[in-house]
Amino acid sequence: MRASGFSRACRRTFFPAVAFAVLTEIVGCSSGSNTTSTQNPPPAITVAVTGSSSARLGTTVQFTATVTGSSNTAVTWQVNGVSGGAAATGTISSAGLYTAPAAIPNPNMVTITAVSQASVGATGSLAESILNPVPTASSATVVGSGPSYTVTVTGAGFVSGAQVQVQGTTATTTAVSPTQITATVNLTLGMGTTTVPLTVSNPDPGGTTSAAVNAGVTITATVAAAARLLDQTTFGPTLTDIQHVENVGLAGYLNEQFQMQPTTLALIAATPPTPCATNLIPCLQSEWWQATLTAPDQLRQRVAFALAEMFVVSTNSVNSRAVVAFQNTLVNDAFGNFSTLMNDVTLSPAMGAYLNMLNSNKPGTVNGVVQIANENYARELMQLFSMGLYLLNPDGTPQLDGNNNMIPAYTQDQVQAFARAYTGWTYATATGGSATKFPNGTANYTMPMAAVESAHDTAAKTLLNGAILPAGQTAEQDLAGALQNIFNHPNVGPFVCKQLIQHLVASNPSAAYVSRVSAVFANNGNGVRGDMKAVITGILLDQEARAGDTDVNAPGGHLREPVLWLTDLMRGLGFTNNDVVAGNDVVANASYSTVGNYTSTLSQKPYASGSVFNFFPPEYVIPGTATNAPEFSLENTASAVLRLSLANTVVYSGISGFKVDLSATSTLGTIASNPGNLVDTLGMMFMHGQIPADMRTSIVNHISTLTDMGQRVRVATYLVITSSQYKIEH
Amino acid sequence: MRVNRRSFIRCASLAAAGNAMGLRPFGALNALAQGATDYKALVCVFLYGGNDANNTLVPYDTAGYGNYATIRGPLAIAQNMLLPLTSAPNFALNPNLPDIQTLFNNKNAAIVTNVGTLVEPTTRAQFLANQSLPSNLFSHPDQQLEWQNAAQSGSTPTGWAGRIADALSTSYNPNGTVPMITSVAGDTLFCNGQSSTPVSVSPGNLGGASCSEGTTECGAQLATAQALLTFDTGLTLVQADDSITSNAYRYAQILTAATKSVAKLQTVFPSNNGLASQLAQIAQIIQVRAALGVNRQIFFAGIGNFDTHSDQLTLQNALLAQISPALAAFYAATQEIGVASNVTTFTMSDFSRTFQPNSNTGTDHAWGSHHIVLGGAVNGGQMYGTFPTLALGGPDDSGSNGRWVPTTGSVQYAATLAQWFGVTTAQLPTIFPNIGSFKTSNLGFV
Repeated sequence: MRASGFSRACRRTFFPAVAFAVLTEIVGCSSGSNTTSTQNPPPAITVAVTGSSSARLGTTVQFTATVTGSSNTAVTWQVNGVSGGAAATGTISSAGLYTAPAAIPNPNMVTITAVSQASVGATGSLAESILNPVPTASSATVVGSGPSYTVTVTGAGFVSGAQVQVQGTTATTTAVSPTQITATVNLTLGMGTTTVPLTVSNPDPGGTTSAAVNAGVTITATVAAAARLLDQTTFGPTLTDIQHVENVGLAGYLNEQFQMQPTTLALIAATPPTPCATNLIPCLQSEWWQATLTAPDQLRQRVAFALAEMFVVSTNSVNSRAVVAFQNTLVNDAFGNFSTLMNDVTLSPAMGAYLNMLNSNKPGTVNGVVQIANENYARELMQLFSMGLYLLNPDGTPQLDGNNNMIPAYTQDQVQAFARAYTGWTYATATGGSATKFPNGTANYTMPMAAVESAHDTAAKTLLNGAILPAGQTAEQDLAGALQNIFNHPNVGPFVCKQLIQHLVASNPSAAYVSRVSAVFANNGNGVRGDMKAVITGILLDQEARAGDTDVNAPGGHLREPVLWLTDLMRGLGFTNNDVVAGNDVVANASYSTVGNYTSTLSQKPYASGSVFNFFPPEYVIPGTATNAPEFSLENTASAVLRLSLANTVVYSGISGFKVDLSATSTLGTIASNPGNLVDTLGMMFMHGQIPADMRTSIVNHISTLTDMGQRVRVATYLVITSSQYKIEH
Repeated sequence: MRVNRRSFIRCASLAAAGNAMGLRPFGALNALAQGATDYKALVCVFLYGGNDANNTLVPYDTAGYGNYATIRGPLAIAQNMLLPLTSAPNFALNPNLPDIQTLFNNKNAAIVTNVGTLVEPTTRAQFLANQSLPSNLFSHPDQQLEWQNAAQSGSTPTGWAGRIADALSTSYNPNGTVPMITSVAGDTLFCNGQSSTPVSVSPGNLGGASCSEGTTECGAQLATAQALLTFDTGLTLVQADDSITSNAYRYAQILTAATKSVAKLQTVFPSNNGLASQLAQIAQIIQVRAALGVNRQIFFAGIGNFDTHSDQLTLQNALLAQISPALAAFYAATQEIGVASNVTTFTMSDFSRTFQPNSNTGTDHAWGSHHIVLGGAVNGGQMYGTFPTLALGGPDDSGSNGRWVPTTGSVQYAATLAQWFGVTTAQLPTIFPNIGSFKTSNLGFV
């Protein structure tokens, strides 16, 4: 291959291998007048130089001087009249070995001269062309997101102006060093592994093309599939992540994520850092936003976020120390079993405090007043967290009685029975044990609540489906029995799975979709009920979740809630924290603690829901329609305007304490001279490469009128992120 | 429902296209408009979470208070703290409602007792027999929705204010440039009708979206952003958001123009009081009612955290202490504007709370509650309805913990307000389908 490439180049560009030397006859040594052959000359000394008439950069050429007319055949060598040559024109040794310069001289011709030592007037010269080297390619990679790929070729002999040819297309060079060239090119690659041959050409003078080298590209997922999955499983796709998922595929990505170590939040120190010395909420906010925006285990964080919007607690009434621990519970349990999650949430001090299972005493008479067990957690665990109000079919639709009425899933009496089953729990001691008195007045916000048996109602309780907790059981026994009774209720699968689908994929899943996932909840294939990893996989790889990968108009999707809208912008555009010290230091990273202030104008700040019903209820129906769309509960003519203003802030002023470059010299700014390229890149970043044609045209036409490239970036970004096509993730 | 959705979308696309036909999604022009020129407004203040009525209005006579204190135990308010009512000497208000006491004693406020969601008049016996009951009693979201839609279940997709707007917008607001209903507390079922949708306003943020690109480019950017709303790929959720966003652009422009040069009210609203901010915003919109071309308006405001399952005294006291001065300032503002007798403000809430305390010095979800109505048109200084017998397991208890079976239906309460507002007897059954099940559709408090 190399030989043929060389010979092809030779045919095109090489000068004849050997040129005639220019012969200069010098006669005598007298006054320099021209001599003629009619005189009686002394023997003429002539010098003839032979050797290759061209030299490639970094190579040597051996010249030979033939001296006639003298017994002294020694010569001295010059390049452009300079003995021994010079760096810019090449050097030549006393033996006539010419070393070409490092760069092409201007002009690229030098004169090689041999001067007879016998007679300095006798010289011979040869014009030498200096040519670019012959490039050699030894290895190459092709990475990127279809159709735009970055190719990198490693080898030798690359010069400025070198280009890479890929499948007959010349790529746009972005960087060249003598040993590496990087370029971008649009390619249409099929799924699977494609072998892409690449060659490198150096420009004239002496332009040649390397032998081809092969790069293997494995496309396991399309751009749209990769970006959509990331939209569903992270706090915002980045272009790098999209490329990665294209390579490893959807299932491969999920498996990677399942195996990542959980990123948990540091518990708030006994003596809190300065930003939260008097109010602990900024510490929680700081840690939460940092993990959300930067943690590598994005799927786990995203599922935990969904769970936090189902198992709602709020710093409006719960100590932030407890909420940090609660977040860690959700993160740790996100890929476990739903029954474990139920148990851990139930015993968490955060939920205990929020829905009052903490310190709920057995019914009885206190100071002469008859009191009842607190019903709050008993009711909401069933209504909001696990079952819902009505008996459900496995596909999530309500069961109907003979009169076409929905059937309540439980009664007020059952609520009160569960309330009694949950009595007796208070803060654990500092070491996690049971307190000696009830309630325990010393808060332990981070360890599971512990029971004080004297405060537990030991009477029998009749639960769902007639199950009975017998009299005389301990608080632990009753709790285990009660949670198992709920966990095994057939409502739990469809109820929980539908909400997870709504948070991750689509507001309006079909009954068939819910049915397929709740079947996985009921049995993961190995006889296990409640396997969250299987459920999450089932949700994300379901045909209905993936329909939009190939059909941009596939029905579905959901409105980006304010928090997910902002994180997507920040991750996509590359906002990075600008505080002095990085790391898990809430003092140094105080700016993370204020990101939630931006979304709170849109009625959403993490872990600060106004009530246990979350920022938006799962059953919300868009007014004037029959369309169930939970997040639309936050979308009205007032909040829509506030979101427009926030979009303006994000692109124009940024986020306090964070830096982002949207200027003319930024990555986006440098491509803004081609408005189509800019909009396509934004379309890849934010809309899975699926930006509708009319929308693309409209934005391209608009920004084409702007001459400031930075403004092009800002305005194009604003128009994309405020469009309904983007706000509805689909 | 399909028909509704289509018409909704059609209106939305007209609005998005800037159609000049004058069709509005909240009511079409009606050549037969009655041409009413008087002004009336209803202002709903929703107490989210279920306000404990038992500690809002307390028996004040010796026997009544004694019974109350015995059963309420740790939750009982000391008798000498309570605020007596001149014309209802056997009852007194929570100590944190001094402004309501004043309004009541000045006959500008009334209290409707033991009102709650009902399908028809219901007794304890009928409740225990599970006879014709509202669905999902004691559940927050369901009871909120049922108060707002005045229907038997939360699944009815329109609110009673929305249905009033459906019925009255064309006749009363033929020249209105904004919907009859304004919410300052987000979108709620209460505000949504078959053909009418509300305008939502963020208190203090009446203007349009901010833009930092300079006047010329901001105008151009706005035009392109609005053009994007007209591209229809057929996705339901995109269409819905296009509609909301295009309305948002329009209403922001209208409200900004209407309020640009309005004089600031002299009335001082309490600071650090979310409800007060909402009511101040409502007062400003009422101020510019003429510029908006509206003769009838319904407003929705809300305040949360009434779900006092623990530590009730502290929590509820703090909330009532916000409500009292906020409502007083609002009433004063309506006096300043000169519409005190044209504006009627009323409370609604999920439900009341158990009379019997729970073991966390809190209370749990209950049913019948007491509500406050105020305004110059209110026949104030009186209590309406029947006060329940405060006995656990007694004649008004649905069970044994003091969850009172309402003696007045929330639909009667709503219908009374609606009739003052202008709903005719003939229109009543359309707006309140089960009103006929009750003895009277007008409780007479306004």
